[in-house]
Amino acid sequence: MKKTLCAAAMTFATLAGAASAADLKICVEGAYPPFSETATDGSVVGFDIDIANALCADMGKSCEMLKTDWDGIIPALLERKCDAIIASMSITEERKQVIDFSGKYYNTPGRFVGKDGMSEDDLSGKTVGVQRGTIHQAFMEGEFPDVELKLYGSQDEVYLDLVAGRIDASMADSIAQLDGFLNTEAGDGFGFFGGSYSIPKYHGDGAGIGVRKADTELRDAFSTSISNIRTSGEYETINSKYFAFDIYGG
Amino acid sequence: MADLISYMPLLMRGMVTTILLAILGLALATVFGGLGAAGKLSGGRIAKRVVWLYTSIVRGIPDIVMLLLLYFGGQRLINDIGGMLGWDYVELSKFLSGVLTIGFIYGAYLTETFRGAYLTIPRGQVEAAQALGLRPFTTLIKVSIPQLVRFALPGYANVWQVLVKSTAVVSIIGLQDLVGLANDAGKTVRQPFVFFSFVLLAYLCITFVSTTLFDWLERRTALKTHES
Repeated sequence: MKKTLCAAAMTFATLAGAASAADLKICVEGAYPPFSETATDGSVVGFDIDIANALCADMGKSCEMLKTDWDGIIPALLERKCDAIIASMSITEERKQVIDFSGKYYNTPGRFVGKDGMSEDDLSGKTVGVQRGTIHQAFMEGEFPDVELKLYGSQDEVYLDLVAGRIDASMADSIAQLDGFLNTEAGDGFGFFGGSYSIPKYHGDGAGIGVRKADTELRDAFSTSISNIRTSGEYETINSKYFAFDIYGG
Repeated sequence: MADLISYMPLLMRGMVTTILLAILGLALATVFGGLGAAGKLSGGRIAKRVVWLYTSIVRGIPDIVMLLLLYFGGQRLINDIGGMLGWDYVELSKFLSGVLTIGFIYGAYLTETFRGAYLTIPRGQVEAAQALGLRPFTTLIKVSIPQLVRFALPGYANVWQVLVKSTAVVSIIGLQDLVGLANDAGKTVRQPFVFFSFVLLAYLCITFVSTTLFDWLERRTALKTHES
């Protein structure tokens, strides 16, 4: 009887996943390449995970990555299943009502895409296509008033007209353009040009690390570590593994 | 296709999780169903009320709501109680939550299946057993249950089929089952269609194998008549 009870208790402990040995448990996602993707062995890899490991190393803490479905990721944080979310989560006012964020760890900048060899100086008097009602339209109107804008209902139409030669360049999120256009067949002969723009006024606050509201110390520790790995060059090393340009943004 | 093959070991692991979840869920559901049926058939007034409440509430709400309620709500309850008692953080595991939820939900359906099967047993048989001087417990084991199995099997197999497919909801809490892993892998290599087609075939395979198994069981437990 004693043996059975003991076995039952042990089974329960295993099933209940007895308190983890790591200092911090980090919720990651695993379905958002290249930031967070599932490897063939089931582990989660990507930019978010590399950054998470670098931040943990900087804080001198051991971390455990917990794969969590995106839909359940904020509840998982709130119910203490993990202590922080590092899952390319944009800092928004709506989310800030429930959880707290560190400073951003990246903000994918907006960039121009045009025929290879184009430069920003050529833009004056040219036509640039943007998706209607986006932050990129507001950015173009505010920062490039002498460029003629052509507005489209969707980003795909921008690409079509860019290939057809009706517009000279497109302005949109850099990663989205990389995946949606430049890395596809249609994108042959086109490339990024000009600067990387992420101005909070237009482009928002970027992606931050989510923590529970009570954990202000942890939030500040993450923010400090983000600037530490920025200055140490660690961030740059990770960044260049995935992207040809700095995605931290201005 | 090459991507699908390289992810195959992972998907197989997911399939094992799905099958384990379904089998343990069914085992728990059978326990709940048995208790529920016993309560409805021979319990006192309070037992009957409790079972009535259980079957009407559980059968009336979506499984996904029940799962989220148990996994996140249950965790909060543990946290709050634990906080008062000064425990450390106790984690409610995803797998355990999945098994509990599925067992709890399908136990309600099985309650009705078992009750219906019991009522199909001719009343005269129990009376005959009494007349022979069999004790109630012996009557249950020797007379009622063997027949109950026969009557309950088609309904039981039906609940199993629905239960297997219902395990897909556990991917919402991040449990690495077949659907959850296929979703992540499919998005990672940007071929969700290929991966979900595999999931479709895998579920068909599970249900096909189990239907065959239940058919065999039904034949085995069927009454042997002179014609056959």
